This record gives sequence, C-alpha cells and structure tokens, in this order.
Amino acid sequence: MKMEDMPLSGPDNTRLEALAHDIYSELVEDACLGLCFEVHRAVKQGYFFLDETDQESMKEFEIVDQPGVDIFGQVYNQWKNKECECPNCKRLIAASRFAPHLEKCLGMGRNSSRIANRRLASSNNMSKSESDQEDNDDLNDNDWSYGAEKKTKKRKSDKVFFFKLHIVSINEFFMRIIRLF
Amino acid sequence: MSKDSQMRAAINQKLIEMGERERLKELLRAKLVECGWKDQLKAHCKDVIREKGLEHVTVEDLVTEVTPKGRALVPDSVKKELLQRIRAFLAQHATL
Repeated sequence: MKMEDMPLSGPDNTRLEALAHDIYSELVEDACLGLCFEVHRAVKQGYFFLDETDQESMKEFEIVDQPGVDIFGQVYNQWKNKECECPNCKRLIAASRFAPHLEKCLGMGRNSSRIANRRLASSNNMSKSESDQEDNDDLNDNDWSYGAEKKTKKRKSDKVFFFKLHIVSINEFFMRIIRLF
Repeated sequence: MSKDSQMRAAINQKLIEMGERERLKELLRAKLVECGWKDQLKAHCKDVIREKGLEHVTVEDLVTEVTPKGRALVPDSVKKELLQRIRAFLAQHATL
C-alpha cells in the first residue's frame, strides 16, 4: 500500500483528511448542481420527457423476437431469390447478379473499353468502315466516366484508330503485292 | 484557525491553478455516468418534476431535492478513488 492510499493520520494530518473530504463533497455537489442545471434546462426547453411515449405506440413499435423475421417482423431475405429478366438478352438473372450482368450484357461500365477492344479484335478482318463505326461507338460510350477521363480516352482510341489504319493499309499493301505476282 | 483557512484557500487556489480540480471533476463525472448514478438521479428528478408540475419547477427545488440523494448514491469505489487522488495531491502540495 502506498503512502497516499492510507488515510492521513496524526495531529496535522487530521486537518488534511478533513480538507480532502471537504474537497470531495464540493466536487460531488458540483456534479449534482451540473445535473440540476441540465435537467432544468431540458424541462424548460421541453425535451426532458421526450423519451417517454404512450403505451400504444410502445406496443406498435415493439421489437419482434421470432425466428425467420427481422426486428420489424418482416421476412428479411424476401428479395434474395427473386429473378429478373434481362431486357437485352431476355434471360432470367438472380437479383443480386443483375447489375453486374447488365453491365456486361450492355457493354457499359468499367470494362466497356476492354469488351469493346475484344470486339474490335474479333472483327479485325471485317471491312474498314464497320470497324470505324464501332470505334465511334466506343468514343460515345462515356456515360460512365468523368469529363477528365474523356480526353485521355479519346486520345487513346485515336491512337488505336491510327494503328488499325496502318495495319489495314499494310495488309492491303501485301495483298496488292501478292496479287501482282 | 485563521491559519487553517489560509491553508485551505492556498490549496484550493493550487487545485484550480494546476488544473487538478478540472481533471477531478471530469473523472467524477465520467465515473458517475458509468455507474448509473446520473440515470438514477434523473429518474428522481422526473418524480420531483411530476410532483411540482412542469411549469413551476425551479433550479432551487431541484437542488434541494437532488443534492442529498446525489451525495448518498455515489458508490463507495468512486468515493475511494477520488479521495485517493485528492490525498495524493495534498501530500504533494500541502506541506510546501
């Protein structure tokens, strides 16, 4: 036990002990006074009895404690197994998978440029005018990106376009050479 | 006797100056909220206010009704801890 843990004793220390008790009761009275002010203010402002409601609404909003339902008495996973029809491909998709599916199915969202690139790659041997149109399609597909991204995207696809133009002209070049022989 | 009151004044001054009084107050407040003292007294206040009427209640009424009860309801452990802190402070500063 430390020195200060013990009540102070001795002729001089009885005074100190009394002083300690006085300070203590002063602090407690302070706390009481603070509470009184707080309560009084709450009463006069009219929010002291706000947390008390009548029995009727207490019953109406009682917490439901039964298996299979949430605290409001509703079935909590009623939407879990719902299926929605995709407006694009007409397949039935689970509701939780619907948004990601729609993103892929319509070719929008984050992966749109990748999907568009894949489409371009697969249609590389199609006529030039058609691939040009698809390129424009990709250009206009910036509903999902911010303005700042627009410029970089445009520049990138410009590059792709020129590159493709080169490939097409080189291909044509070779074809012509082959045809010459 | 006047020496005693002089010492008390000096100690009180020191308590305030060093910020110890504020710290003790904050400690007490936190402990009292923690142990439910505040809720008990609030419930008591509710009874008092219902008795006197919402419009007529004054701070004085509340103080006279609440303070004795508040003093009695402080848990022993909280009282002990606070007294220890005060004694420690006195041991450090009263002998100077």
